[in-house]
Amino acid sequence: MKLDAATSAGDIPEGLIEPSLYVGKVTPGSLDDQVLAFPETKPPRQWYFALAITLTAALIGVISIGYTFYLGIGAWGNTSPVFWAFDIINFVFWVGIGHAGTLISAILFLFRKRWRNAIARFAEAMTIFAVICAVIFPLIHVGRPWLAYWLFPYPNQRALWTNFRSPLLWDVFAVNTYFSVSAMFWYLGLIPDIASMRDRTTSKLRKIIYTVLAMGWRGAATHWQHYEKAYLLLAGLATGLVLSVHSVVSFDFATSVVPGWHMTIFPPYFVAGAIFAGFAMVVMVLVVVRETMQLKNLITMRHLDVMNKVILAMSCIMGYSYMMEGFTAWYSMNEYLHHAFMNIITGTYGWAGWVTISCNILIPQILWFKKARASYFWMILVAVGVTIGMWFERFVIIVISLHQDYLPSAWRIYKPTMVDFGVLLGTFGIFFTLVLLFARVLPVIATTEVKAILPDAQPSHHGDDHHA
Amino acid sequence: MPEISYSVLGVFETPDALMHAIPKVRTSKLGTVEAYTPYAIHGIEEALGLRRSPLGGMVLVMGILGAITALGFQYWISAIDYPIITGGKGAGSWEAFIPIMFEVTVLFATFTAGLGMLHLLNRLPFFGHPVLSSKSIKGITRDRYILALEAEDEGFDSVAASKALREAGATEIEVLPAPDRSPFLTSDYILRTLGGIFAACVVAGLAMYFATKWFPLLKPMANMQDQPRLNAQKASAFFKDGHGMQQPVVGTVARGYLPTATGTQEEAASLVNPLPRTREVFATGRKVYTNRCEVCHGAVGNGVGSLTAAYGAKPANLQAQQFRDYPDGKIYWAIVNGKNSMPSHAPYLSEQERWSVVHYVRALQRAQNAKDEDLKVATR
Repeated sequence: MKLDAATSAGDIPEGLIEPSLYVGKVTPGSLDDQVLAFPETKPPRQWYFALAITLTAALIGVISIGYTFYLGIGAWGNTSPVFWAFDIINFVFWVGIGHAGTLISAILFLFRKRWRNAIARFAEAMTIFAVICAVIFPLIHVGRPWLAYWLFPYPNQRALWTNFRSPLLWDVFAVNTYFSVSAMFWYLGLIPDIASMRDRTTSKLRKIIYTVLAMGWRGAATHWQHYEKAYLLLAGLATGLVLSVHSVVSFDFATSVVPGWHMTIFPPYFVAGAIFAGFAMVVMVLVVVRETMQLKNLITMRHLDVMNKVILAMSCIMGYSYMMEGFTAWYSMNEYLHHAFMNIITGTYGWAGWVTISCNILIPQILWFKKARASYFWMILVAVGVTIGMWFERFVIIVISLHQDYLPSAWRIYKPTMVDFGVLLGTFGIFFTLVLLFARVLPVIATTEVKAILPDAQPSHHGDDHHA
Repeated sequence: MPEISYSVLGVFETPDALMHAIPKVRTSKLGTVEAYTPYAIHGIEEALGLRRSPLGGMVLVMGILGAITALGFQYWISAIDYPIITGGKGAGSWEAFIPIMFEVTVLFATFTAGLGMLHLLNRLPFFGHPVLSSKSIKGITRDRYILALEAEDEGFDSVAASKALREAGATEIEVLPAPDRSPFLTSDYILRTLGGIFAACVVAGLAMYFATKWFPLLKPMANMQDQPRLNAQKASAFFKDGHGMQQPVVGTVARGYLPTATGTQEEAASLVNPLPRTREVFATGRKVYTNRCEVCHGAVGNGVGSLTAAYGAKPANLQAQQFRDYPDGKIYWAIVNGKNSMPSHAPYLSEQERWSVVHYVRALQRAQNAKDEDLKVATR
């Protein structure tokens, strides 16, 4: 790897030199030619093949949802006492996936982690797609989707208002805010890049579309000044959202009295889990992106290495949270809580509990080894494992807690139906369809942000003579 | 005299060259100095002498406004307009409002930051800026750093500006002509726009007409919408009388609704209304009358209710002399036991409510047959 001009100079000990954020020679012009020319090329055959698969999955989802609409919620496995099942599991799962994007674009921006610049765009796009997948579930779970607007507090003939003390309503606000803010953040970041595409395209139609989307961006210093400020402010605001959205989602459970849900550790535990699952998804997708889109010089093994470290750290937090659950069950001397916890490791669904623990806690420990962090095999294994594990974690929380609560006469085993699986598969289809489309039509790397961190991108006398 | 031009662009290859040129070009005082760059250059705002972006203050104000809005909205709904007690907390307990306050704060602040930056401060979208149609724009959004001297008035000297920029180290110079000052909204343009809108309306209208004509209304959620259950007021073949909504079994006594006036109507004539004629009693009576009596007996009690026309029923005209002469007790008896087609209202109305509605019927009768003295009382 070549060293940055800025960091290689001087007498910094070798181990402390920050490795370069890209491989080989990258100039602003070559960056544009590499990243922005991509949407103008013809997609390869593999892309159509992948799109066919994801569209098929999405179609299965649409059919499953259509069947649910036709027959009613009875098409699913939900039944007393497990009224929340796949729908809420999938909702929490997808909202969680989105959190990595916001963390990368917001928190890492505030921490001035420059490696985020190359991957932020893709991660933000994944956030938006994940939230789109997530909101499908509350909408179809209400049973009468044409009345879903009743979720919002609006003046109506019935003189009824929503209950502002219900965490479900907090969810409505949290998820809507999250989507709006993510979309705004993403779009603002895209504007200068779209302007670049506008000025390089030769196609007439593309020129018109990009001209409208870029809103007449012309790169004026007066504009950049406000733009940078807005980006910083948005990063600060989105940082609050990373921590708040999944906290609010966890309130859906934590504020109830169901044993296994009623715990104060839930908000931080959910946020960590969300970032964990999201990073796994980002690693999975970025490995494919860098291989298929010839972006190995911009999304380097260093990026993957750092992200794997984040996954490892989150895995440790998850391990701590699981242990705290067990500790609370034991220390509280509450027999209901104790029963709920024992169900996770020895009950009918004990296998799900162990899938969760192995996929989330045990397998990621391989990432302590540098070689594993540099190996596709291990990082994909961990990422797929974490995705499965985090889905099962929500299954454990929701189904295991619900299927046996205070009233033994109401206990029942929950069995999902094919329609449940169809809807889940469908959201994966929708998510990856959107990812594939995004990769073809918009710049997958924030070229403007990467240009700003190239060597010599900033004036060398910066900070010396203009603070007079 | 040179041709009137809007600005002169000087192209620089590196940000360093750009930054070194800025002070030189600024001291020439030939026009407004502006830079166009592919990405934000650190320190350029100080070099150009730009004022700090006011965006932070705007966002702060709007964020606080968002928090106050959310708190006020939730408090008004949960404590004033529709008070509900949840989890034993008082209607005005504000702690539960915090999550939504936070979300709305972020929402307001985000939209202020995003749209405020784009629209209020940067005046975008704007597609008419001369730089957008310059040759240099391709470099601006790619890898060139451009310093521009822009005209402040008619006296802009593009030759001197070009010279100043070249002396400052610009490798290329581009002079931008002044933008076309002809009015944007020419009559031709307006006509074409209106014509386009009209054509779009016609097409959309025809499309909707034929779409609804040729394709029958599909009900994709048929089973969820039409459930096998009886709605209120619906007919049902299941019951002998054909009513979906069954009357309570004869003699049913709801909790707290004691049977009264069990004898004949004549026997009830001697009952005396125990309620005083206060504003509250009349308010209750009016509410009960509106809810339970008005559909048949009409808003003023003249027997012309909204149901009369639909069913051809003939409810009593309470304004008739016969009923005006009724003692309170006989009206009360009719409410409790029902009369002719009228069902008993005993299961639905408490004793208080029944007597209140009697008072209200009396008020209706008096209002419809007002004497001069009543007018004097009313207008006093």
